[in-house]
Amino acid sequence: MRKICIHFQVIQPHLLRTYRFFDINQNHNYFDDYQNNYLINRLANRCYIPANKMLLELIQKHKDRLFLSFSISGSTIKLFQDYCPEVLEGFKALVATGNVEITGSTYTHSLASLNNKTSFMEQVKLQENYLKDVFQVLPKTFCNTELIYSDEIGEWLYEAGYNVVLTEGARHLLGWKSPSFLYCNPYETELKLVLRNYQLCDDVTLRFNDTGWDQYPLTAEKFIGFMKSIPTEAQLLNLFWDYETMGVLQPEETGIFNFYKAFLEQICVSDEYQLITPQCITELEIPSSTLHAPWAISCSGDEKDTNEWLGNELQQEAFEQLFKLEELYLKSDNPEAKLAWLRLQNAFHFNFMSTKWFPKQAVKKIFDVYSSPYQAFINYMNVLNDIKIQLESSQSESTKQKSKYIKSEL
Amino acid sequence: MFGWEFPPHIAGGLGTACYGLTKGLAHHNVEVLFVMPKASQDEDQRYVNIIDASNIEVDPRYTHLKIFDKQVSFIEVHSQMVPYIGMNEYYKIVDQLESGLFQEESGGKVRKYHFSGKYTENLMTEVEEYAIVAAEIASKYEFDIIHAHDWLTYKAGIAAQKVSGKPLVVHMHATEYDRSGEHRINDLVYGLEKYGMMEADAVCAVSDLTRKTVIEKYGIPAEKVYTLHNAVEPTGKQIDRGKFVKEKIVTFLGRVTFQKGPEYFVESAKKVLEKDPNVRFVLAGDGDLMPKVIEHVAELGISDRFHFTGFLKGSDIDTMFGMSDVYVMPSISEPFGISPLEAMSASVPVVISKQSGVAEVLTHAIKVDFWDVDAMADAIYGILHYPALANFFSVKGKEDVDNLKWDHVAEKLIAIYNHLRKP
Repeated sequence: MRKICIHFQVIQPHLLRTYRFFDINQNHNYFDDYQNNYLINRLANRCYIPANKMLLELIQKHKDRLFLSFSISGSTIKLFQDYCPEVLEGFKALVATGNVEITGSTYTHSLASLNNKTSFMEQVKLQENYLKDVFQVLPKTFCNTELIYSDEIGEWLYEAGYNVVLTEGARHLLGWKSPSFLYCNPYETELKLVLRNYQLCDDVTLRFNDTGWDQYPLTAEKFIGFMKSIPTEAQLLNLFWDYETMGVLQPEETGIFNFYKAFLEQICVSDEYQLITPQCITELEIPSSTLHAPWAISCSGDEKDTNEWLGNELQQEAFEQLFKLEELYLKSDNPEAKLAWLRLQNAFHFNFMSTKWFPKQAVKKIFDVYSSPYQAFINYMNVLNDIKIQLESSQSESTKQKSKYIKSEL
Repeated sequence: MFGWEFPPHIAGGLGTACYGLTKGLAHHNVEVLFVMPKASQDEDQRYVNIIDASNIEVDPRYTHLKIFDKQVSFIEVHSQMVPYIGMNEYYKIVDQLESGLFQEESGGKVRKYHFSGKYTENLMTEVEEYAIVAAEIASKYEFDIIHAHDWLTYKAGIAAQKVSGKPLVVHMHATEYDRSGEHRINDLVYGLEKYGMMEADAVCAVSDLTRKTVIEKYGIPAEKVYTLHNAVEPTGKQIDRGKFVKEKIVTFLGRVTFQKGPEYFVESAKKVLEKDPNVRFVLAGDGDLMPKVIEHVAELGISDRFHFTGFLKGSDIDTMFGMSDVYVMPSISEPFGISPLEAMSASVPVVISKQSGVAEVLTHAIKVDFWDVDAMADAIYGILHYPALANFFSVKGKEDVDNLKWDHVAEKLIAIYNHLRKP
């Protein structure tokens, strides 16, 4: 029986307000509360609430067959807590079924793994603490921001207690190999790599409602047909989606909910397929080979590299200036400034500065916040400058050796 | 083609645009007969071949010039009129002439105009006279299309159209709404613009913004209005980066008139200076709002950091761009606005108002609403303080501009011409 591993990512940013240079050292409220409230509620109504309800019903119906995993960033959980707590209750109900695994991730959808181990581990641990508080779980599977992964990141994670990492089935990494096998890190062979089959995922995320696509309209039967065409020696099929694919990236009118429902039900009653969570994979499968990732890969675009966030000089500059503040962060005792610094690591902010497909780009169409990457950059740098001042003015004496990790209730 | 100015004697973007357009057409083997009221005989010496008027069998008042390897010709109709301006500015220039500030050249057989105080009548008289000459030219020359630039030439264009029966294209480089604002419309000018566009077989608008104005405010049928964005002439010259002061320099360059929004520049200067006094603001240009702007600067107490250069041209403009760290165009209503392109080709980062046609064709520029002085100040501050941004703009902005070629514009125009020539 072929194993299918389905994972949903739930990631939303704290958007910045328009923060002018004359706000620097005057105002320290960086986030657009109104907009964040509005957006998370809009997403909740279109996606999270109906999707959670649908999945819960399906799990109750197929208790012994339907297994899924989720990653939900700390920032997103915080947005739920602040603005639409019923969504969080929905996720808690899903976790309570025992059929849903919550994986580890970064606390603020951070790009810290591209900086260094210290900043990455800070994010990982904060998220662990948060997940423990909210869901009472300790994750052993990790799903990094935008599926970013490299050999080194794998080693850090293994050291931190993780045994499975979800990442992209990037073709330049795999070569002739198939993403539908289990792999492991070449240096820490106990760390299993579960690779996304992005062709199949994109069929839904990008092409589901594309009338120009020769496979339009996509039905559950057709989609299972695509899965069948993958050689049977491959034991695994890994499908990771943005949760917002249901109802936002593909609006309800396209029939996306019915598609997912039919697809999951058919898999549940089929004797050819078995749905499993990432942690179950490690019990069932032995890695077929190691996989080398000397450079960071991600799920971005066709290139599967990190250019989406660090491709131009503006992004590189912002990234460099951001992580320059790490020392200040570690020694600061101003929780607001520290939290803001963490939130500025969110990959979304770097998306907004991207000139890769400028002027048109999917993520910018969803969040129509800046009229150009330049405005995004200026706004970001203004905020960063103020955070720097706040961190500098709140340095605690080195004699009081404070805990390295701040509390997650921030 | 009927125009009013040609480089180097230009008052606005019109002459530059006409030059680029005719050059682009020349590259596509379209011959252009360029008629202008008063040629100074030093029109772009690299291309202009001045032909002795005696060679041409026209009224002796006309000077005939040939440029672009005999593909563009000039015919002079003596005039003091400066194109691309509204009536108010016209009066002002005439005032200056009267007061002896400008020396009117005279030589050969050129005719002089005597302004007797009734300026309105004179302006319209010239428009009428230009039309008479146009009719005469139309009867003497062979051509397929008539193309008239801006309202002053529309009567001439229509006259030529009536005489020859050839299709007429009128080119809206600006509208009266841009020049004077919604509530100060000059009816005569508006009437001429509308008349020209109604009679024309096709209307070219320099931006979608202008096209919209033409359709909505003048009631011109949308199907004959085409957007034809301006481009920029590659100068090939290297502009030296260098300045005489250690502070960063932010520049406004343009006519100091209502349309250009100089007051918003002053307001954002004040905001930036409050935070960072190590910046100098330069307002290069002249116009009827000048006294008001100077007063405003004094009132805000930023005179020590705010400088006025008066009207600049030629190499002075290059020097100014060479010194500038940011170029700002806060126009309230700018049909196109070619000067940001010149700044960008000199590697100067630009901040432009969203209410400008040029915003439609630029990606690597910061676009703000003209009234949003906070956003404008923020953009200026950002470019001055985040070097990565300024460097990025210098490179990408230049690429942006290098992709806007008159050759491409000419191609589009030729498609319109060909469409009109079809029976």
